Amino acid sequence: MQTRTRSPFINDSAEGVKSGVPIFLGYFTTSVAFGLLAVSAGLTPFEAVFFSMSNLTGAAQFMAINLISAGAAAGEIIISVVLLNLRYFIMSASLARKLGFKRAYRKLLTAFGVTDEVFSVASLKPGRVSGSFMLGLQGISWLGWGAGTLAGVTAGSFLPRSLQDAMSGALFALFTALLVPEIKKSFRPVILAGAAAGLNTLLYYKFQISAGWSIVISMISVTAIGAAIFTDNEEENQVERVEAENE
Amino acid sequence: MNKIMIIILACAAANYLLRVLPFFISAGDNIPAYFKRFLDYMPVVALGALIFPGIITSFPQNPAAGIAGVAAAAMAAWFFEGLILPVFASIGVTWFMLQYL
Repeated sequence: MQTRTRSPFINDSAEGVKSGVPIFLGYFTTSVAFGLLAVSAGLTPFEAVFFSMSNLTGAAQFMAINLISAGAAAGEIIISVVLLNLRYFIMSASLARKLGFKRAYRKLLTAFGVTDEVFSVASLKPGRVSGSFMLGLQGISWLGWGAGTLAGVTAGSFLPRSLQDAMSGALFALFTALLVPEIKKSFRPVILAGAAAGLNTLLYYKFQISAGWSIVISMISVTAIGAAIFTDNEEENQVERVEAENE
Repeated sequence: MNKIMIIILACAAANYLLRVLPFFISAGDNIPAYFKRFLDYMPVVALGALIFPGIITSFPQNPAAGIAGVAAAAMAAWFFEGLILPVFASIGVTWFMLQYL
């Protein structure tokens, strides 16, 4: 007798895609901005889209664009990106425990698409999370990030010269827009971000350190001091919050 | 291969390593609290260092245009959700100042 139930693969990946639609929308709009800025920073449309499709990382891509247009060396850029994305290591560790995949190809595939948003959705999903669900969830997120970048570079190539000049400031607007919600939550980010801004400005102007290295030094030293001073966990970090909700 | 493609590929490799290693080595069980806080504070600290002095050096001929753009973005981000509106607000204000002031 023929059953009419769909295979678990179709079922689970469709469910993953459905859970990923909000991520798709968020990624699409953000990566439109990335595409616009990447073109104004001098990347070709192919490079911009390839950057998004191969890296699938948010703020670090914007930071890399900023450093590329500041003429930073490759080493400075890569170290900054790794520092900013160290959190993926913790997220992957937490997710690997939750998923409990046995097969290597599942691990290799899922690891590629670990992002803050994917991590939250997968970790908070009750019960077992299958590889097919992850494939749907991460696939739609990846498409959103890539498609938005493509839309951004396409729009960017039609913009008049004067608007393109104004757009070199848009990257900083984006950083500001990422920072403001943190500042609304508590005062501590004002101190941390302010100290980093101050130190970076000092290193750049007073000590004539290149833009990339002065960012790296500012990031490490202010974070190291901040983590030593502010020892009370004012708010749990994302991994802890998600793990606490699971228990 | 040009410099930008090398940077993109190296960043992709670094990002993938950060994400894939914990799937194969058991890590993350006993991370010291200090290191967790370090990871927690890093993004906010990075944003501060990314905004200054970059916003000043990007408009050497008219730094006020850049700063006004960031101020417009901060106001838009304070009152509205999302990233697109602050970016457009900043482009608009900076464009106006570069054209007319």
